[in-house]
Amino acid sequence: MTPLSKITAVVVLTVGSFAAVSAGAQDYSETPGIDALVANLDSERALFNARVEAPVDDDLLEAGRLVAMGGAEFGGSGMACFTCHGANGRGDGSAAFPRLAGLPGWYMYKQLMDYASGTRPNQIMTGIAQKLTEREMEAVATYYAAIDAPFRDVTSDIAPDVLQWGGMLGAVGSAEKGIPACVNCHGPSGTGNPPSVPYLAGQYATYMEHQLMLWREGTRDNDPMNVMSAIADKMSDEDMRAVSEYYARVRAQEDIEDAADLGPTGLAPEIEPLAETLDVEAD
Amino acid sequence: MAPTTLPRTDVLIIGGGWTGLTAAYELAHAGQRCVILERGEHRHDATSFAGPEEHDEMKYAIRHHHMVDVTKETLTFRNDRGQQALPMRRLGSFLPGSGLGGAGIHWNGQLWRALPSDLEMRTHYENRYGSQFIPEDLSVQDWGVTYDELEPHYDFFEQICGAAGYAGNLQGERRDGGNVFEGPRSQDYPNPAMKQPISNTLFGRSAESMGLHPFPIPSANVTREYENPYGAKLHPCTYCGFCERFGCGYFAKADPIICVYDRVKEHENFEIRFESQVLRIEKSEDGQTATGALYLGPDGREYFQPADTICMNAYALWNVHLMLVSGLGKPYDPKTRTGVVGRNYAYQTIASVDAFFDDSVITNPFMGAGALGVVVDDYNGDNFDHSDLGFVGGGYIACKQYHGRPIGYQPVPEGTPRWGLEWKRAVRENYGHHGDIVVHGSSMPTPENYLDLDPTWTDAFGRPLLRMTFNFPDNDRRMSDYVMHRAVEIAENMEHVRSVKSTNLAAVGSNYNIVPYQTTHNTGGAVIGTDPATSAVNRYGQMWDHHNVFVFGACLFPQNLGYNPTGPLMGLAYWTLHHMKNDYLPNPRPLMDA
Repeated sequence: MTPLSKITAVVVLTVGSFAAVSAGAQDYSETPGIDALVANLDSERALFNARVEAPVDDDLLEAGRLVAMGGAEFGGSGMACFTCHGANGRGDGSAAFPRLAGLPGWYMYKQLMDYASGTRPNQIMTGIAQKLTEREMEAVATYYAAIDAPFRDVTSDIAPDVLQWGGMLGAVGSAEKGIPACVNCHGPSGTGNPPSVPYLAGQYATYMEHQLMLWREGTRDNDPMNVMSAIADKMSDEDMRAVSEYYARVRAQEDIEDAADLGPTGLAPEIEPLAETLDVEAD
Repeated sequence: MAPTTLPRTDVLIIGGGWTGLTAAYELAHAGQRCVILERGEHRHDATSFAGPEEHDEMKYAIRHHHMVDVTKETLTFRNDRGQQALPMRRLGSFLPGSGLGGAGIHWNGQLWRALPSDLEMRTHYENRYGSQFIPEDLSVQDWGVTYDELEPHYDFFEQICGAAGYAGNLQGERRDGGNVFEGPRSQDYPNPAMKQPISNTLFGRSAESMGLHPFPIPSANVTREYENPYGAKLHPCTYCGFCERFGCGYFAKADPIICVYDRVKEHENFEIRFESQVLRIEKSEDGQTATGALYLGPDGREYFQPADTICMNAYALWNVHLMLVSGLGKPYDPKTRTGVVGRNYAYQTIASVDAFFDDSVITNPFMGAGALGVVVDDYNGDNFDHSDLGFVGGGYIACKQYHGRPIGYQPVPEGTPRWGLEWKRAVRENYGHHGDIVVHGSSMPTPENYLDLDPTWTDAFGRPLLRMTFNFPDNDRRMSDYVMHRAVEIAENMEHVRSVKSTNLAAVGSNYNIVPYQTTHNTGGAVIGTDPATSAVNRYGQMWDHHNVFVFGACLFPQNLGYNPTGPLMGLAYWTLHHMKNDYLPNPRPLMDA
């Protein structure tokens, strides 16, 4: 019996041929309007995910968009978020720039605070965060939390047994190494647990792998209870790669259904599930 | 078919929980070949206890999937000798475990020590209050082992667990913020105390303003990355609120699997056999020693495992049961008040106080941990003057936030209907505004509370069931009532409290009820002591009648403490193992003269 039967997740293998046509990060046409963002927050679940402290209203979202586009009430950071993370928070798929769309607002707000304070040191982000006011951090975190952007293709080449091992670590961890399963905190399909736990499903593999290494070496030290550093400490490089590549390919069931609903927007095929090719949904 | 006799082993250990795995670790490293017989299955924190599946309240908390299967083994129960005992067909008042780690995987992680005066209870009370003070109908006795003797072993187990807390007595120096009543600690807790939520904080403030001494509950929910002396690596607790009745998939609640089993399983002297149900311990022809155990293997066949030394490490109740069905020690007879096996069974005396806050206090009860609480020990043991109170013993008063589970956590104020629209409204309004206070009281033994074999009912293996005869002694009812009223005073003095409700499960006029959950703290039945007429084992945990049988667990407690038993019983376990390794095994013999 495989212990993978404990989770219900669908690993999606995407086809690389669409990568060439996906838009670059610096594309204003992807910028969602405030109306669209407000519409995204219709459900209580989405609103809970997005809210930091202040009520989520048009003003806050506008302020967030202003910061994302490089402007600000008090001068701004001097660098626009969208140049790397995209106007719709999809990132650009490289190792360095994670997907922000739909991450918990409070989580992103805290990361900005931590970049600024140095508990999550980063050559680019620390300087940017130090130039933002708390209000701007909250606004831009809420803005990206409210966005619902389609996923990019996953194009990296990876052996099925490595992927299988990554899925195993995600679902049940490793008894031999004393590694607890990711699903404990990051949710049944790696969908996160707002307000404090980010999603893994659909995040970029190289970004996650790099973060695990930073946790392990102690460079990233912004978890008040040191849960992640304790886990990363027990992981080999291969473990980190396997679990990151695995989660990069996982989509929550609702995201797959939403993608199907997009219809003729041209974005749906990118994440069309080829679930039958590697379906770990058991039971 | 005759049982297959297996090759002899040095030490046979019955039960793979906290005490059994620890015995195997210590004795295997002392050069003894150890075989553990565990009736349940293999399981592991990583593969068996990961959320979100593990956080299935219906499956684990309500349907008890980690607990003993009562269709195979259970006990019969009655309140007094005049009644016909009937089998417990569903678990209720207590939840013994089964499988690797035993009940140690679904504990809350509250990690206490006995008070020095607890361990010399009869002597202490007689010295302080006079020889007539302890009521005649209580068979209270000394443990035969002192706090100073147990301290290094308490300390070591706290290191094994990565205990989190703040010492209130460090090498004799009293420290505010810890338990100022505790015995001296040789060193502070290995990890800092847990972070407290608002309800516990308000409780602590109230208690302090009344001149009491609040402190964080000592916890085996680990608060930072930690490596124990066996080399086990534990992780910080995430306050997920699923300790009690659940295994911990985070490696954050110390349990016997990650703390001990993982560190000994590869040892050449270690072997564990799962799904191996011990039926009987066999004795030598002269009856002076035990020769081994007859057990039912996973293939349904009977095996006899011979051994030089036998360790009994089952849950308290099942240890006593196995002694009785094997004819080890002299069974207790309440008519003549002679015999020792089954004598001095005791429990825990529980009362609860609910404080309901106004809307300005939002408690978020889903954020919790098994040992997350603020507690006062001012009314526990003999920490307060009993002169005019008419009872012995006491209990701690704790405000805890250990779960906010949707089925089990539905606090409603006094006067709320038990069902319907009004009840639902009250649950909705109070779920996030509730302080959960417990009075966790001691339990005194009486000649009429005991364990024996049932004359009528048998288990799935044809053995007579264990029969429990128990009711709360009047002493404990008075104690519980007194300490509960102190808890009510603290609750009423808390800021933002709009109403208080109290429930005493040991109220005068009511009988002990085996149905509602109280605690899995069954104690006694094979108690420790220095007199073979009143104890089944000597002060080293060695049976008086069979010197190669050592007994572990809460069945050793002469009377139950006001504390959760895991810390106290593990202190005794390390004490016993220390004397086995250094004294008994090099020269097997009775360690005390009968």
